Amino acid sequence: MDASRFISSGLIEAYVSGLATSNEVQELERGMKQYPEVAAAVDDCQLDMEQYVTLQAKTPPTDLKQRIFHIIINEEAARESGAFSEEQATDEFPETKTYVNSAWRWIAAAAIILLLGSLWYNYVFYGQANDYKGRYEALLSTHNTLATQSDGYKTRIQQMEQSIDLMKNPAMKAVKMPGTKPFPSALATVYWNQQSKEVFVMVNNLPEPAADKQYQLWAIVDGKPVDMGVFEMSNPHELFQKMKSIDNAEMFAITLEKKGGSAVPTLDQMYVAGKAS
Amino acid sequence: MESAFTYTESELVQGLKAKDQKVFGYLYDRYSPALYGVALKVLNDESNANDVLQEVFLKIWRNIDRYDESKGRLFTWMLNITRNSAIDTLRSKAHKMDQKIQDIGDDVHLYTGNLTVLPSVDHLGLSKVLEKLTKEQRIIIDLAYYKGCTQEEISKVLEIPLGTVKTRMRNAIIQLRNLLKLV
Repeated sequence: MDASRFISSGLIEAYVSGLATSNEVQELERGMKQYPEVAAAVDDCQLDMEQYVTLQAKTPPTDLKQRIFHIIINEEAARESGAFSEEQATDEFPETKTYVNSAWRWIAAAAIILLLGSLWYNYVFYGQANDYKGRYEALLSTHNTLATQSDGYKTRIQQMEQSIDLMKNPAMKAVKMPGTKPFPSALATVYWNQQSKEVFVMVNNLPEPAADKQYQLWAIVDGKPVDMGVFEMSNPHELFQKMKSIDNAEMFAITLEKKGGSAVPTLDQMYVAGKAS
Repeated sequence: MESAFTYTESELVQGLKAKDQKVFGYLYDRYSPALYGVALKVLNDESNANDVLQEVFLKIWRNIDRYDESKGRLFTWMLNITRNSAIDTLRSKAHKMDQKIQDIGDDVHLYTGNLTVLPSVDHLGLSKVLEKLTKEQRIIIDLAYYKGCTQEEISKVLEIPLGTVKTRMRNAIIQLRNLLKLV
């Protein structure tokens, strides 16, 4: 189609009035590119149509301008403060954006919940652990006490067994030493092994000595006193206390002496005495 | 309300792209009557026309970056937005064909109502133009431009062969053009 055919075909008028089909629009737009006079004819016709339209102009209601400005001013204010997401801006990848945002929101929320939960459990378990630790220590201390007591009983039983063994020994000779005249209620016994010559003393009843005094055992050999050693009253569970050994003795006696013992017995402090044979 | 000064078209476009509210105000004052006239002619209902005009100016403000100066004048672009928006609204309201024709007939009386006086155009000018157009010439232009009717629809309404619709349109516009030269 040449330029004059375009101009006389009615295509230009159909195009400007909005009557042209999409095929006709494409055809004319090709013609406009090809022929400047066609483009000029379209332009003229469009101006006429616009003049016709303008003849029928009517002033819109006065508040409409205010309404429109109100909307755009709010939009601009929101855009500047970053709160407004423009149509075009939201057009870009709205689903992806929302998806990422909400996913991170959920992850953050879950992380906070887990953290709080963990803190709470830490608090609870720390408290429980402290409780268990305290109870464990109490049990341990009870156990230690019991073990110590048990050791004590074991030692006492061993001592008792030893004492019983001593008495059961047929070679053991018991020498009873009753109280002397000034101390009638005092009583002690010497156990003397006739084979090994070992000597043990058992306190049946002697008053507790002063802090600077100690009881001392004597053997009388050929009418003369022989030191057999001092002994303590402090351990009441120790039934027998081992003294010095002696081969022969006519008598045994206990005097109260200064601490560590004396070379010669203080006779007026003799509590008990007994014949050995 | 006319502004005391005017902008060239490229100044207008630059101002709009820079989101200049003063330029937008000028654009509104200068062009809203023409665009409102289009919306009103398409919809024949002031409330719907108000809504369309608001939508049109918001589209112009938000989408000015999509306007390509090399493809046509700003007014042509704005007219197309208005015409398309109004015709979309018209279609969504499911206007019947009868209603469209009724609307066009009623417009004869509308033309004597309040019309904005634009520079170089006056009320008498419009009356003169309309008087000299035949009813058929006016209806064929208006059905196509304002109601978005297809060639088939016009062929049926005017009871003319489909092949002659374009020729009738050409004749109507040539007559319009001659009359406008007299205004």
